[in-house]
Amino acid sequence: MGAVRFSEVRKSYGDHEVVHGLDLDIADGEFMVLVGPSGSGKTTALRMLAGLESITGGEIRIGDRVVNQVAPRERDIAMVFQDYALYPQMTVFDNLAFGLRRRKTPKGDIERRVREAAASLGLDPYLARKPGQLSGGQAQRVALGRALVRDPQVFLMDEPLSNLDAKLRTQTRGEIKRLQQDVRTTTVYVTHDQVEAMTMGDRIAVMNDGRLEQVGTPEELYERPANVFVGGFIGSPAMSFITAAAEAAPGGGTRLRAGEVDLVLPGVEGLPSEVAVGVRPECARIWDPSHPTMAGPVAGEVSFVEALGRETFVGVHVGEDRRVVVHHDGRSALLPGDRVEFGVLPGALRFFDAQSGQALAPASRVAA
Amino acid sequence: MTSRREQSFTYALLGVFSLIALLPIVGIVFTALQQKGGGASFGSFDGLHFDNFKRAWQDGNFGTYLKSSAIVAVSVVGISTVVSILAGYAFGMMRFRFAQPLFYIFLLGLMVPMEAMIVPLYYDLRDLELTDTYWALILPQAGTSIAFGTFWMRAFFRSVPPSLVEAARIDGASSWFTLWRVLLPLAKPAVLTMVVLLFMWTWNEFLLALVMVTDEGLRTAPLGLSFFVGRNQADLTLLAAGAVIVAFPVVVLYVFLQRHFIRGMVSGAVKG
Repeated sequence: MGAVRFSEVRKSYGDHEVVHGLDLDIADGEFMVLVGPSGSGKTTALRMLAGLESITGGEIRIGDRVVNQVAPRERDIAMVFQDYALYPQMTVFDNLAFGLRRRKTPKGDIERRVREAAASLGLDPYLARKPGQLSGGQAQRVALGRALVRDPQVFLMDEPLSNLDAKLRTQTRGEIKRLQQDVRTTTVYVTHDQVEAMTMGDRIAVMNDGRLEQVGTPEELYERPANVFVGGFIGSPAMSFITAAAEAAPGGGTRLRAGEVDLVLPGVEGLPSEVAVGVRPECARIWDPSHPTMAGPVAGEVSFVEALGRETFVGVHVGEDRRVVVHHDGRSALLPGDRVEFGVLPGALRFFDAQSGQALAPASRVAA
Repeated sequence: MTSRREQSFTYALLGVFSLIALLPIVGIVFTALQQKGGGASFGSFDGLHFDNFKRAWQDGNFGTYLKSSAIVAVSVVGISTVVSILAGYAFGMMRFRFAQPLFYIFLLGLMVPMEAMIVPLYYDLRDLELTDTYWALILPQAGTSIAFGTFWMRAFFRSVPPSLVEAARIDGASSWFTLWRVLLPLAKPAVLTMVVLLFMWTWNEFLLALVMVTDEGLRTAPLGLSFFVGRNQADLTLLAAGAVIVAFPVVVLYVFLQRHFIRGMVSGAVKG
């Protein structure tokens, strides 16, 4: 079936290695999102899976077949490209039918499958049009339809939403997810947008600089990032990091100190003497002495205010180059330059090794 | 927005350049239409006298010359177009060993003028017993035309989004199918522009025909025209009629393809 396995896959251009031994298992029917910044190797990984790039080392399997030397057209995959790559001189119908015709599918079958795909994507009225006569959203749906109609083992999608406006992107995101759940075809989806990754993926593989940083469900990645990179990449606004000296507090717990930050975290034990503390916006709140578990206060100066209506994110500068993003329900009266005090919820903090950036084992952290 | 004054100036300038380009052409057509022995000068108009064309056609043997030119031009353009599309596709779309040096070798044909190769070429073709045949005109011109055509088509294929070809590959199309059915319909303006240019250059080639053929029946139109000029120095109207006859096929081809020609010349200049 359509399971995909990357084993020790490497890719070099000359002496320059861009993918360093990628190991990744994608289950049959799974929606796997490859996410990472530009140059992280995610698109290269997808193109190697498609057969559009050769691999320098390792092995790629689709189902139980090693496909290293198999031509793209024989891999039984379909791909949706960032720029849609529709054939401009052909009608929407011919675009959708192209792959089936190349595979010598019987005419009646082609007609039925194209009509079905067009119906499921709302493309019926446009079948006689050419791509130049379609809006961006319609062209995007034709590109999806062209993949869907083929009924391949694996769908590959290379940032298919990046050319759409924000509203259409949200709408199409839902549509792709729905289609994938209907057909349950293994899907590998590349994006640099972590919101897309979080909302669409059954699992997410975070890549950075040609390496796989972490694979997991959206929840795992958000709650238990394996390292500082994943912590900072997943979540919006990003996790704030403060490198702090840690010592056992006299009355139990741990005392963290970094410039103006001086916090005692009850219930947190066993940290090394220097740690990187990851603070998600939602675990930093404006100081409330009556809160049962809030640790603080930490004083700082407001550096920016992002009012989103239902909530506000306040960037607070806490000395040197440290900044923590603090969450505030509803609107906030704070302005840049104001002094403010905030506290943190110790149980929601994440700790990383200050040198290696790797998450400290959960055993060393006692959740409060 | 351009101001009215700027606009008027632009039109005036364009008008001047159009006149510079058009006057000689109009002049020769008018001269060709003058009455025989009317004593009028170049470019003056004294009515429509089509007899000159008939006379020139018969006296100058232009029927034979145009036939030779047509055989040579159609063969050169046909061979060069097919080979240039294939070679341009390979250089523009495929990755293979020594692609770069091979492409530079192709470019040599574009850089070395016919004048520089004509003497060795003559001896080579004479050794092959090809002088005084159509092959002596077709093969060298096909060679230089393929050099240009490959360069031209490679530039076109390079401008095609790679994802289009990749999509076709994944959809199951072979390289051959991708070229002819996916890319070539998009290449129509580029191919037609190439056809017009190659046809024009081949049609107007003079030196090669002068050196390679002596047989009257193989002479091309420009060569025939030069002999015709030599024989009829005194008769201006007849010379003008001959010149119009020789230029006519290129003008006709250009008029039919000019819409594509302009599109082909500017394609890639702006993002489509």
